Amino acid sequence: MKNSTGTLRRGKESAVLQRLAAIRKDKFLYLMALPGILFFLVFHYGPMYGLIVAFKDYNIYQGIFSSEWVGLANFQELFESSGFKRALLNTVIIGFYQLLFVFPAPIILSILINEVVHTRFKKFVQTVVYLPHFVSWIVIGGILYAILSPTTGIVQEVADWFGLGDSVINLMGSTEYFRSILIASSIWKEAGFGTILYLATIVTIDPSLYEAAKVDGASKRRQIWHITLPGLRTTIVILLIFHVGNFLNVGLEQVYALYNPAVYEVGEILDTYLYKLAFESAKYDLATASGLFKSLVGLTLVLFTNYAAKKIDRDSGFI
Amino acid sequence: MQKQPVRWGLGLLYFFLGLITVATLYPFWHVLMYSISDPKRAMSGGMFLLPRGLAFDSYSMLFRNSLIFDAYSNSLFRLFVGTLINVALTAMLAYPLSIRRFIGRTPITLLIFFTMLFNGGMIPTYLLVNGLGLVDTLWALIVPSAISAWNFFIMKNYFQGLPPELEESANMDGASPLRTLFAIILPVSMPVIAAIALFYGVWHWNAYFDAVLYLHSQDKQVLTLFLRSMMNFSATESTRSMNDSMTVANISEESVKMATIIATMLPMLLIYPFLQKYFVKGVLIGSVKG
Repeated sequence: MKNSTGTLRRGKESAVLQRLAAIRKDKFLYLMALPGILFFLVFHYGPMYGLIVAFKDYNIYQGIFSSEWVGLANFQELFESSGFKRALLNTVIIGFYQLLFVFPAPIILSILINEVVHTRFKKFVQTVVYLPHFVSWIVIGGILYAILSPTTGIVQEVADWFGLGDSVINLMGSTEYFRSILIASSIWKEAGFGTILYLATIVTIDPSLYEAAKVDGASKRRQIWHITLPGLRTTIVILLIFHVGNFLNVGLEQVYALYNPAVYEVGEILDTYLYKLAFESAKYDLATASGLFKSLVGLTLVLFTNYAAKKIDRDSGFI
Repeated sequence: MQKQPVRWGLGLLYFFLGLITVATLYPFWHVLMYSISDPKRAMSGGMFLLPRGLAFDSYSMLFRNSLIFDAYSNSLFRLFVGTLINVALTAMLAYPLSIRRFIGRTPITLLIFFTMLFNGGMIPTYLLVNGLGLVDTLWALIVPSAISAWNFFIMKNYFQGLPPELEESANMDGASPLRTLFAIILPVSMPVIAAIALFYGVWHWNAYFDAVLYLHSQDKQVLTLFLRSMMNFSATESTRSMNDSMTVANISEESVKMATIIATMLPMLLIYPFLQKYFVKGVLIGSVKG
């Protein structure tokens, strides 16, 4: 027995030595990777350590380390506050709207673009619809305020065409329309760019399937339903997993650029809420707790969707 | 008989897609036309097919504000220095981790992958950046986002798709890894380098929330923040002096806002047609599942 553990240890030692020799031989390779590894440790794992603030009564002067532990008190305070409940509810509602309307938009658009026969028109449409992706939300916020303004915008004129000229309101300041504006502007900005992947996938579908369908007299609609959509399935599922995993990330840059005090009631989301908690009320601990809650829900959603996707189709999922 | 409905359908499809392109472009057109119209005539609103009169006063007013030059130079610094650091660090991490004999490759890759699923969030990151003394410096916009895990995986997958003999033979000949990367690997990886540089570049140009979070001094503003302060016009300190001189000149608040929007997005719009195809390639390279 003694003897065998001895050889085992010696075996282990020589394996370690071998590894060290291998590392020394390639030391520049390891040195090259070092800044990147340090970056992830400091700027990603560092903040994960900083999450302990969520369980402390954070005091700026005492710092993360010496502030007092309070257990789950921050979470309790958060879940009881009406501001957090409102932000959570808004986030979930906007998230559902996005899943329902924003997610399918590029699928529909790519199927439409794919049906275009004239190559130049197709190229033109593609070039145009990709464009808004390259514009900052701040700029889009400015543009929306400009064209939706009841006085200097186009709303009045368009409403006049339909004989609704008397009922024009400030859409950006309307609690009734604000979420619709969020959804519509998301589609306007990203649906085009989102078609790139789908269009590339459609190209890989075997053309003989369409030929056979035509011979059988299948209509265009049936071809799309029975050939194009099934051909897109894997892509759709993978993107759906990412989308659901980001369910609570409903777009901080977008909302912060578009909203204003008149629509806080319907537009305040978790991200903007925690920003205000920290930087307007200096409640860093509550804000961190709120962020941790969001991250945990996000993680659960990704893992769950991935699991579900694998159950349905063994090849899909990404973990 | 069969042909007729198809042609009708095609006409309808083209009409619908035509509407989509108009709806996509009109908002930009509106702002551009408004910004060069005579401010008094523009103020009545409505659709703009052509400028109403022609006046560039709002632009001259805008560029009389010295803050916009600070904003331009900060944005350009962020764009070029930031993207350079992004691409260099991403490549320097992706290349070693794409080589099979690299010890610890799997755990390190998993470590990076996990950051895509879970993160510390806004406040702990802010506290860290603050603790490192980066708040209110332009480095706060560059260092905390030096490598995107997403782009790292795109690049790593691309490197893994290259024939391993490239690296192995260079290694046999005694070339240092840095030399191998720059002289052998990068030249054959231009598509992925271009795509990733563009992803980072567009992100740097358009991002603004990190600037809201980390930058406080007026002369540190980036262009997107400058636009933001312009949109909240009369309330903002930085534009108060402008407001006074505007009441005498033939300029409206609205017109100056429109001019600012155009000035903010113009650089991107000008280079967009030339870069578009690289983006499409980039998205497709990235989509190859690893």
